[in-house]
Amino acid sequence: MSWKTHLSGTTIVPRPQVQLCTPAMKERWQRELLPRYATSHGALMPILHDVQHAYRHIPYAAMLEIAAFLKLAPSEVLDTVSFYEEYTTEPVGRCVIGICQTFACEICGHKAILDHVRARLGIDVHETTDDGMFTLLAMECLGSCDSAPVALFNDTLHERLTIERVDRLIDEARASVGHSQVVHS
Amino acid sequence: MKLPEPILTKRIPCHPHADPKGRHIVSYDEFVKTGGYRALEKALDLEPAQVLATVKDAVLRGRGGAGFPAGLKWSFLAPDDGKGSRYLCINCDEAEPGTFKDRLLVDFDPHLVLEGIAITCFACKLDVAYFFIRGEYHHQARVMERAIEEAYAAGIFGKQGLMRGKAKFAVECHVHRGAGAYICGEETGLLEAIEGKRGWPRVKPPFPAVKGLFGRPTIVNNVETLAAVPPIIERGVAWWKSIGVESSFGGMASYGPKLMGVSGHVNRPGCFEAPLGITLSSLVNDYAGGMRQGKKFKGAIAGGVSMGVLGTDQFDAVMDFDIGRRCGVLGLGTACPTIFDEDTDMVAIARNCARFFMNESCGQCTPCREGSGWIYKLLTRIERGDATTADLDLLVEVAGSMGLSEGTTICGLADGNNWAVRTIVTKFRSEFERRVKPKFVPIHLVAR
Ligand SMILES: Cc1cc2nc3c(=O)[nH]c(=O)nc-3n(C[C@H](O)[C@H](O)[C@H](O)COP(=O)(O)O)c2cc1C
Ligand code: SF4
Ligand code: FES
Repeated sequence: MSWKTHLSGTTIVPRPQVQLCTPAMKERWQRELLPRYATSHGALMPILHDVQHAYRHIPYAAMLEIAAFLKLAPSEVLDTVSFYEEYTTEPVGRCVIGICQTFACEICGHKAILDHVRARLGIDVHETTDDGMFTLLAMECLGSCDSAPVALFNDTLHERLTIERVDRLIDEARASVGHSQVVHS
Repeated sequence: MKLPEPILTKRIPCHPHADPKGRHIVSYDEFVKTGGYRALEKALDLEPAQVLATVKDAVLRGRGGAGFPAGLKWSFLAPDDGKGSRYLCINCDEAEPGTFKDRLLVDFDPHLVLEGIAITCFACKLDVAYFFIRGEYHHQARVMERAIEEAYAAGIFGKQGLMRGKAKFAVECHVHRGAGAYICGEETGLLEAIEGKRGWPRVKPPFPAVKGLFGRPTIVNNVETLAAVPPIIERGVAWWKSIGVESSFGGMASYGPKLMGVSGHVNRPGCFEAPLGITLSSLVNDYAGGMRQGKKFKGAIAGGVSMGVLGTDQFDAVMDFDIGRRCGVLGLGTACPTIFDEDTDMVAIARNCARFFMNESCGQCTPCREGSGWIYKLLTRIERGDATTADLDLLVEVAGSMGLSEGTTICGLADGNNWAVRTIVTKFRSEFERRVKPKFVPIHLVAR
């Protein structure tokens, strides 16, 4: 998580015409989030959750908007974004599959499930399918070791996984594609 | 050993007291009907100092890992200078591998935790509470948010003062979601995360009780610790002390019930409530339905991976806060053991633990950042069969040199890595030796 670095000094941040942080979002942040914290910086994480949820990543342009909104330096926003695994700077798939790889799940057969998903989707861990549908992650203990092996499909935890169940979950995720929103990047 | 009645799990059916199938989210109304918020009512009739003294007398030791007595921690708070808010941060990061106990409380009985929060805020004069919950607990965060809304609507929290204004003292309570970083479970990393920054633990002192969140006096407590506060206030210190065991070394006792999540090779993995002082074998056999397929016990992660492992001869280990000294592990930790049967490959387990620490090191301290990567590489090499006995010694040396207790790091994550790796390698040394090639040292070099 911590030391994946790449050259960023020459990054040119695209500045789209549209506002990524909409007035409605900002209004809610102003009303609900800012009063909760002693500093505006405190509201950064819930705001980032919002943006990550809306765009499935946090575009650099949005970081600039957030920095201006919270009166922070853009680097402070990037600092937080780059530290936490749930925030990404590249769009993740519409369905993020996070398979637990810690020991309780490992001794209950997480490997077979991980390998199956890898093969079926044709991607490796930390990759996204070309159609932008699935991202595969190997995660650390999800706090559900009694029902190992487990995986998160977006916000939902699925327990006591078998290959058949994972297949079904993937089919269901594909079928519900029509309902999810388009990435604006 | 069994509790006469469930305490923290009074409203959450758990084996052996009730069938877990009957679990459901306990709403505010149901909570009140079953005696909820009575302890808060009782506490508000007392002086804050009396409430604090009760918890201190009960020796309620922290359930988040370190076992530090909550009442004592509260008494270290800087006196109120009237210059701003004082904070309570509830630690529901629960990212310690093998641990799934706070989730049980939040999943089904969130108001018990909220009652503990309200009493603690009153006792310590803390006016804002942040419920910090790990990002992966999506459902639990929603349950908690909903429960907090109910509590506001019922006047527990909010401007009018605790318990519909029964106390002049007002408390605000918010959920703050993490975003996937184990290190935010460390109390000062947690504070940084609430401040919106990267979760880098702070150098201590100053301790949070003096200078914590936003530079103000702050208490950080685990979810289960706070959930134990209402029963203590309601039923008294003597009752609390009747559960659990005294220290066998004349040290601090281990009182009260404890949630213990058992996972791995057992027939009925799950989270159980048992008195402190129960043996691991009784936990496995009487609560978790025994070893899977009748296999033999080989070892166990003691209580979260950071505590290290118990060896094959330690199946009867007594689960109390003395376990560290008695069994050569770091401590009781979260009291959530993962059980391994005779067929488990301990080298693979070690490699898995090392990967966890490598991924989760925050990168501030060189011994932890670099050491965790080295350890992982050495262990993958051992697992592949490409290592020599010298690598095994190097492994123990690198692991043994990192940590707070060695004075080389800022926080205890490195100690966890140290203990996990060192205890596995020493307690299962022969298994590791079988995987490495002997290293021959030229004799003339040794002789000179
Ligand atoms: C690396 C690391 C991770 C930790 N993770 C957690 C955690 O997930 N949950 C928790 O309650 N305490 C965790 N702790 C312990 C906290 O620092 C702190 O001791 C605890 O929250 C205090 O609460 P208690 O006294 O009620 O136990 C962690 C400590 C370290 C060093
Ligand atoms: S010990 Fe490791 S996790 Fe803790 S502060 Fe240092 S680098 Fe970060
Ligand atoms: S090890 Fe997979 S949920 Fe804990």
